Amino acid sequence: MYRYDAIDKAFVADRTAEFRGQVERRLSGELTEDQFKPIRLLNGLYLQLHAYMLRIAIPYGTLTAKKLRKLGYIAKTYDKGYGHFTTRTNLQLHWIKLKDAPDILEHLAEVEMHSMQTSGNTIRNVTADPYAGATADELDDPRVWAEAIRQWSTLHPEFAFLPRKFKIAVTAAAKDRAATKIYDIGLAMRRGRGGELGFEVMVGGGLGRTPYLGPTIREFLPARHLLSYLEAILRVYNRYGRRDNIWKARIKILVAQLGAAEFARQVEAEWAKGDHAATDLPDTELARIRADFTPRFEKLPGRSETLEKAKAADRDLARFLRHNVHPHKQPGYAIVDVSLKVPGQTPGDMTSEQMDVVANLAERYSLDEVRVHYTQNLILPHVKLDDVPAVHAQLAAAGLATPNIDLISDIIACPGLDYCALANARAIPIAQHIAERFADPARAEEVGELKIKISGCINACGHHHVGHIGILGVDKKGEEFYQVTLGGSGEEDAALGQMLGPALPADKVAEAVEQMVEVYLRERQDGERFLDTYRRTGVAPFKEAVYADAH
Amino acid sequence: MKALTGNLLQDGETVFWRDGQWVPRFADAQLFDDDPTAEAAEAHAKSELTIVVDPYLIDLVESEGRWAPLSFRERIRCLGPSNHPQHGKQALGGADIDALKHAHGAARSTGRVNLIKRK
Repeated sequence: MYRYDAIDKAFVADRTAEFRGQVERRLSGELTEDQFKPIRLLNGLYLQLHAYMLRIAIPYGTLTAKKLRKLGYIAKTYDKGYGHFTTRTNLQLHWIKLKDAPDILEHLAEVEMHSMQTSGNTIRNVTADPYAGATADELDDPRVWAEAIRQWSTLHPEFAFLPRKFKIAVTAAAKDRAATKIYDIGLAMRRGRGGELGFEVMVGGGLGRTPYLGPTIREFLPARHLLSYLEAILRVYNRYGRRDNIWKARIKILVAQLGAAEFARQVEAEWAKGDHAATDLPDTELARIRADFTPRFEKLPGRSETLEKAKAADRDLARFLRHNVHPHKQPGYAIVDVSLKVPGQTPGDMTSEQMDVVANLAERYSLDEVRVHYTQNLILPHVKLDDVPAVHAQLAAAGLATPNIDLISDIIACPGLDYCALANARAIPIAQHIAERFADPARAEEVGELKIKISGCINACGHHHVGHIGILGVDKKGEEFYQVTLGGSGEEDAALGQMLGPALPADKVAEAVEQMVEVYLRERQDGERFLDTYRRTGVAPFKEAVYADAH
Repeated sequence: MKALTGNLLQDGETVFWRDGQWVPRFADAQLFDDDPTAEAAEAHAKSELTIVVDPYLIDLVESEGRWAPLSFRERIRCLGPSNHPQHGKQALGGADIDALKHAHGAARSTGRVNLIKRK
């Protein structure tokens, strides 16, 4: 885990003190709301429907026990005892008081965290594959590069006032667990002909009102040139991005209007002008960062008799192993997914007590590491196979062992209109109703992989465009309705979903999902996932099941 | 009919205007049946920089014999998040809260399901 150096510590402390003064000036009336709003947003503090919301950055979704405990402490002390993990691997606290915000930032600084650049037209918190450093299918630990990007992009003066917000995701694995194709810049590590590591660079992906999958503008960028190339992309965007129209200001619009080839040409020309050595990370600094991402694994046998015996005796553990435990690159270890998707509860929500439980487990069983996945689940990345039964038992006791990773009840839902000032409709109750219908783990297992993603407005924080079933809340004359899309994916087989038909009222959505699942179970051929069946049959049978007149 | 609402600067709580004061319950809000009076109250509220952030007028609709905010968004603000019934103003309980929970906006349709004919 990367530790702050003296520079990191100093600027976070400065920023915290500065914000304290700004809050005091706002409360006294010295600053107007118009003057203060951009300042609080630069520190991730929004005003929402019921209170202020603080969005805390979790760089590349990596936490230590100490950090997670601190988040739990803040939630318990300054909020209502819970927090909400987001699709950007951040944590949102929804009941914050403005007068408490400076104290909270001080608590965060104590554990090397902050909330800078979680809002505003800046380079936002960088995300990465949550299995980084643990999965066998990666070429390198992408967090080394994500940390380099974090250092480069934090308070970067040239990119503090971009045309619009800007998000970067990094993966080094074949399986895309970082949704890189829906990011402003998606970076996927590749190995070059000579064995050199580099990145495929995708630019201009994004969801929202105008969804795009990011086209590749460079098949192979030598990794050592990452920062100078990012700088060239940002410079082209900063110069030509549409500042005149908020709906056209994201880089995806620029890339789409120019065409990927022309955009790439302009980036290459900009890059050719630059002094790469001045921007690219020196090998010594890269080595310093890398040293912080080198866990000390023990040499263990690849099979654990303890685990095999426990599995044979415990059906719940066996089911948990099938869905929540994944292979690790190091023999004798496993990646354990912690589901925050108990059917009937709020996707991504976690109580302070649960944060303490996972922090304790991380410290004792997972080399002091926890990860946040954009699917709004947590991960204990380095658990010894021998320890999996104990970890499972302790997770189960805390309500954290739902065996449903990637199943129908593992639903992404944004906070929606229950909290968010931008939303048009609620997302959480829709997720709850659907998950409750599939709460029986045997039934969910029979349905298999099915990714439902729900957004409460077109901004698409719930990634509905790339859900196998996507659900978008809309407002019709003051009432909630929901548009359904099918066939989306945010992974290596990325696709944007296709509209099913007219919007459904709230009380019909779960029923419609059940009808579509019935169609899938009827139509599926050997081994097909819901997405595969949809891609083979098209929308027609699903549409007919949901909308067909009985006459 | 309209009401004036905003969020308190200090803690963000949703509040409603009543005769120059801010009150926490929608049921206690002053109702404006003419625009000039409502707009005058809004202008006054906006001049108080340290009390409420961004006050604004909301449209009301008659629902089951009571006035309720037209938009679902505003009804959620009056109640609190539906995933945590113990949080927000809904925790106060009472007939006014129950009425808001059952209120409807202008859209009464149950949607257009069952309207597409089989080909």
